[in-house]
Amino acid sequence: MNLISKLLTILVVIFVTIANSFASEVNLYTSRHYDSDDALYAKFTDATGIKVNVISGKGKALMERLASEGSSSPADIFITVDAGNLWKVHKDGMFQSINSSTINSIVPENLRGPNNEWVGIAKRSRVMYYNPVNVSAEEMEGLTYEDLSNPKWKGRIAIRSSGNMYNQSLVSSLIANNGISATEDWAHLFVGNFARKPEGNDRAQIMAVANGEADIAIANSYYIGLMLSGKKGEEQQAAARKVELHFPGQDGRGAHINVSGAGLMKNAPNADNAVKFIEFLLSEEAQSHIVNNTYEFPMLEGVASSDLIAQFGSGFKEDQTSVASYGEFNPDAVKLMDRVGWQ
Amino acid sequence: MKLTFWEITPITLFVIFIAPVALVLYSLTGEYSDNWTHLYEFVLTGYIINTVYLVTGVSILVSIIGVGTAWLITNYNFSGKNIFEWALILPLAVPPYILAYTFTGLFDTFGTANNLIRDVFDLGREFTFFPKVRNVPGAIIVFSFTLYPYVYLVSRMAFINQSRTMLEAGRTLGLNKFETFYKLGVPMIRPAIIGGLMLVIMETISDFGAVDHFAISTFTTGIFRTWYGMYDIETAKQLASLLLIFAVTLILIERYSRRNASYSNAMSLYKPLFLTKLKGIPNTLAFLICFTPIFIGFLLPVMELLYWALNYKLDFFNEKFITTAWNTFYLALIAAFLCSILAVIINFSIRYKSNNYLKVMSSFLTVGYAVPGLILAIGVMQMLTYFDQSLISEFSNFILTGSVMGLVLAYVIKSYALSSSTIEAGYQRINSRVDDVARTLKTSGWALLAQVHLPLLKTSFLTSMLLVVSEVIKELPATLILRPFNFDTLAVYTYIYAAEERMYDAAAPSIAIVMVGLIPIIILTRMIRTSRPASRD
Repeated sequence: MNLISKLLTILVVIFVTIANSFASEVNLYTSRHYDSDDALYAKFTDATGIKVNVISGKGKALMERLASEGSSSPADIFITVDAGNLWKVHKDGMFQSINSSTINSIVPENLRGPNNEWVGIAKRSRVMYYNPVNVSAEEMEGLTYEDLSNPKWKGRIAIRSSGNMYNQSLVSSLIANNGISATEDWAHLFVGNFARKPEGNDRAQIMAVANGEADIAIANSYYIGLMLSGKKGEEQQAAARKVELHFPGQDGRGAHINVSGAGLMKNAPNADNAVKFIEFLLSEEAQSHIVNNTYEFPMLEGVASSDLIAQFGSGFKEDQTSVASYGEFNPDAVKLMDRVGWQ
Repeated sequence: MKLTFWEITPITLFVIFIAPVALVLYSLTGEYSDNWTHLYEFVLTGYIINTVYLVTGVSILVSIIGVGTAWLITNYNFSGKNIFEWALILPLAVPPYILAYTFTGLFDTFGTANNLIRDVFDLGREFTFFPKVRNVPGAIIVFSFTLYPYVYLVSRMAFINQSRTMLEAGRTLGLNKFETFYKLGVPMIRPAIIGGLMLVIMETISDFGAVDHFAISTFTTGIFRTWYGMYDIETAKQLASLLLIFAVTLILIERYSRRNASYSNAMSLYKPLFLTKLKGIPNTLAFLICFTPIFIGFLLPVMELLYWALNYKLDFFNEKFITTAWNTFYLALIAAFLCSILAVIINFSIRYKSNNYLKVMSSFLTVGYAVPGLILAIGVMQMLTYFDQSLISEFSNFILTGSVMGLVLAYVIKSYALSSSTIEAGYQRINSRVDDVARTLKTSGWALLAQVHLPLLKTSFLTSMLLVVSEVIKELPATLILRPFNFDTLAVYTYIYAAEERMYDAAAPSIAIVMVGLIPIIILTRMIRTSRPASRD
């Protein structure tokens, strides 16, 4: 290497170092990719002057990138829509504890990591939808996930395939509460009650109930808000108006809860900014932005759910099972579903 | 032996190209988890059966469509022929999963097509006209009508360059039109057809999007289920290695089966093509044979996408969209050019040095296609982070992972096989006596390459560019995992919506992918058409 190129290299290194130390930014790896999230990040930048850099992708793929980059990863925060993924990243030792009394006071213990390595940002429940023409409200009264193994529901249930992580989390939570063998017995009968071979996404299940192809659908809570909003077209809006939402297990454990959550990376180059960002996500402004755009339930008490979803009852009983257990039991859940032939 | 540029370059590049595949295979040396027992007992057989059905069905259908249309276009004149000639490539711009979404949108119980039939004939809600598509036959149709252009393109190129003399001899000796086709035309271009078919097979077995949407359990969905659901990427990689071994076996069988055959033309005398003009029923038939694949593979999905886009999302055309389209376009062009140039240099080296080891290595580069894109992308990423952490960090702060340069490198590694197979096919058609003449004239390697081979390889070079451009425009897994912050391509844009099955939102970027893909397809096919050595224009 000659002198000039050496000097140039030194200059570049100095420049990059200086530029880095002045740039105020926070780097997100996220598997959440809603248009409304971009607007949320812009609000944060306006309020704090901290630039938000984003790479979005599939949760497991981003986790591989984090692992592969190791200590040289530029990521500050990992955001995902499934508690199981957060549990896994934590288990692999890639998170550090979030030190913020604000955050700790907002997020309940069952919705965060053991030492606050990750916290839930917004909640969603996996609920039942029914068609009041075919099923009466009395029949639904107090109905639990466990009850759906009853032969009276034969040929009446619509649910998507077992490859879907929301179903995997639901079965994991059943394993956490009832054990593997009881859950397997249940799943065996439950699969026998399907109205059709699992197909389509959560909204397709709700459509099937509206169309009368099935009587009960299992799908996430926010989809009904999304469909009722008209953002998905008139057909889905009309279908959504035909169905009712049932929160399962209100006389027992409560309705299954999962979270969109954020974790702080161990080698976060901008850890302070990252904590500020997570605090912002839990602020009143961000929480009401989230609930009114994605129709999830708020993490912050005092923020009201969107009317489109609150009309089905806002003070429902939530299952208190630690969402971290979903990750722990996920492999068991998948194998169990293979064994009972849940496609 | 002293190594020259023509040996060192290809060896170095081969090592880089094969490294991600090697990283996947490396998993075979690791531990085998208990999950294998579970897979073996409950699901593996099902995965294999579905995959075999799929591959068999797609191979048959794709060969019929691809070779049949190429033969018609090359030898006959019929209504719409000039349009079909390039339009037959259009489905290349439609990723299989988009066609899968279109199919369910149309043919599900309450899909557009079934609703239409009910309305028109005033039938009850329980009446469903079209059969269900979320099954193996449905998937066979989806893959065949999106992937047949691979076979069409190579067959067309091979037919164009086929010696007329031999076909005419066949006719003189009493073969009818159809016999000329399957007794002479097809066997003479068998290596080209098989080359195209290999790509189709590998894309089929490694696809995730379409089969996942139809909820068909294949080997590849099993790989992702093991990784995502059982949190076990090592077993997933071991499963992927089995796909690799399958691909290698296929290639070996193919090589062995044509070990003694020679396919170069006896005479390189080219005569201009005289096309037979079709009239009446044959004309209508030829029209339908060419129109159907374009209709199913291109017009149908594009119409459905347009319908979705116009009904639900019109505000997509903004600054962000233009940046995204531009990113996609320039990345695809750079990668396509690099791939094609490298393929020429490597294939030239093999020929110039008559190096058989390199030749064998080269034929194995396609195996990467048999691995699901994301698994291969992880291999590429691990290689890049290895460079970053061990080599580059010694000299500078530059990080390859998450840079545009890293992304281009990933595309080149992924798509090189497309270029190589095309350029190799091109080289097979250049008579080796040309090289001998050049040698007696003491022409240097570079001069031989630049002044003699490159002009003769023009068609292959353009075809290679075309294939890589359409590949990169659609490329998703490597882009998702390796891209820089705040950097989108059109495929990413589509994915972000399609992942949530928000197809209405995904429609506009999907159309953009098709449009951006159309530009090079149209330009390049025009150039390919005029490239027959004896053609006048």
